[in-house]
Amino acid sequence: MDAASRGFLVFYVKSQLKLKYRYTCLGFLWNFLEPALYLIVLSTIFSVVNRMNIQNYAVFLFGALVPWRYFEQTVNSTMVSIVGGEWLLKKMYVSPFTFPLTRWSIASIEFLFSFVVVLLIFAFLKKTWTVHLVILPLSIIPWAILGLGVGLMCAVLFTFFRDVRPIVQMLLMFVFFSSPILFRRDLFAEHTLQAMLLGLHPITYFAALFQKPVYYGAWPSWKDWAITFAVGSVALAFGFYLTDRFKEKFYFYL
Amino acid sequence: MATVFKLENASVAFEKRAVRHTSLRCALGSIGKRNRTTKFYGLSGVTLAVEEGEHVGLVGRNGAGKSTLLRVLTRVITPQEGSVYVDITKHIVPLLELGIGFQPDLTGRENCFLAGTLMGYSRSEISDKLDGIVRFSELGEFIDEPVKHYSSGMFGRLAFALATDVEPEVLLVDEVFGVGDEFFMRKCIIRMQRLMQSGTTSIFVSHNLDFLVTQCQRLIWLDKGCIVMDGDPQEVASAYREHEGLAS
Repeated sequence: MDAASRGFLVFYVKSQLKLKYRYTCLGFLWNFLEPALYLIVLSTIFSVVNRMNIQNYAVFLFGALVPWRYFEQTVNSTMVSIVGGEWLLKKMYVSPFTFPLTRWSIASIEFLFSFVVVLLIFAFLKKTWTVHLVILPLSIIPWAILGLGVGLMCAVLFTFFRDVRPIVQMLLMFVFFSSPILFRRDLFAEHTLQAMLLGLHPITYFAALFQKPVYYGAWPSWKDWAITFAVGSVALAFGFYLTDRFKEKFYFYL
Repeated sequence: MATVFKLENASVAFEKRAVRHTSLRCALGSIGKRNRTTKFYGLSGVTLAVEEGEHVGLVGRNGAGKSTLLRVLTRVITPQEGSVYVDITKHIVPLLELGIGFQPDLTGRENCFLAGTLMGYSRSEISDKLDGIVRFSELGEFIDEPVKHYSSGMFGRLAFALATDVEPEVLLVDEVFGVGDEFFMRKCIIRMQRLMQSGTTSIFVSHNLDFLVTQCQRLIWLDKGCIVMDGDPQEVASAYREHEGLAS
């Protein structure tokens, strides 16, 4: 990436973050209010209709739901980034990575704001605090890498085939409901088919990075770290490869 | 003297009916079939070199490939065939249209920084130039208004002021002289001439042949994506006029 694209990336991200709230009354506060309202609604609903028999279900749910929402947000907004950058990409040279990285950075920065709120809500919900929570800033890194990688792949695909968007959204929904975010992994007895499938599900390990410190009061295992970093890096490398491979064709499909 | 641009046998092909190609159904449907799409050549086999400090004019009818050529020179389009060399150490400012990189919701000042960084200038360089830009564009206090509230003349003046005040080393201009009123246009042309005298390499696309003949040392006539003639402005202009039946 050349210096001009980098400079543009930084300035554009800043201006988009400023613009988003420029014409709202509460302005910057929305960064905190939005996730807070979302989580308050969810926790109220689940504390009223709690049939999952998980103690402190809200804490469990938020543990993995918060990073998942971030992941979903990055993939969705990065996917449309190259097509959305048409206004510039057709008129002036910028690195093909500029717009995907812009969208990803905005989603990541917004997530960091919402994370502050999440920690405050945890403070209300959780009865005991454990030292394990300090690992959370590290736990987000594999999610961020995975989000950028998958986002880049989708961005390239979406540029060439516009029907990719509903397909990706459907796949994301499938991955969400099939992974232990809504339910506990030990819902299924060991050696059952479901348990085995969950063991093969990459998001199981991504979710563990948050669920273990938040809900179980434990450190994520080495296996969790190894698998998540490996999956994330492969996705990122493939995303970069695809973008680089097809960058010269984007113009004709914008 | 260094070469700024060098094209060898460069061809750019657009696929006709590109609309269908952005759907998955079409892509799946065409698997196994021979490539049946018809191609349209925006540029075909263009060989060209531009040296530092040259002032080159491009003429041709609508659709002759002038804008496509400029887009190749700015690296926006990569030709499918042939090779392109662009000296990217130079500050190349493309004026393919006015206000590239401008965001309607941002203020004039913010847009100067945004578009300025795109042209490869640092924040401090742009801060230094900002007063000059505001003065030249005659915007005054409107510089802190969102550009979506600008009149088209204000917008054009700001964009032109920014693009030329940053003192580009290479300037690519695509028919943007219709900026503002008559007096501002005169200011623009004077500034353009000053830039050209100071050694800025420039390439103009214009339908104003008289302007090109007086300002450029070299004129290139494009037709249907090919270079028809490349040489002395007087000769090329009269050949072009004759061909198009405009000889008086």
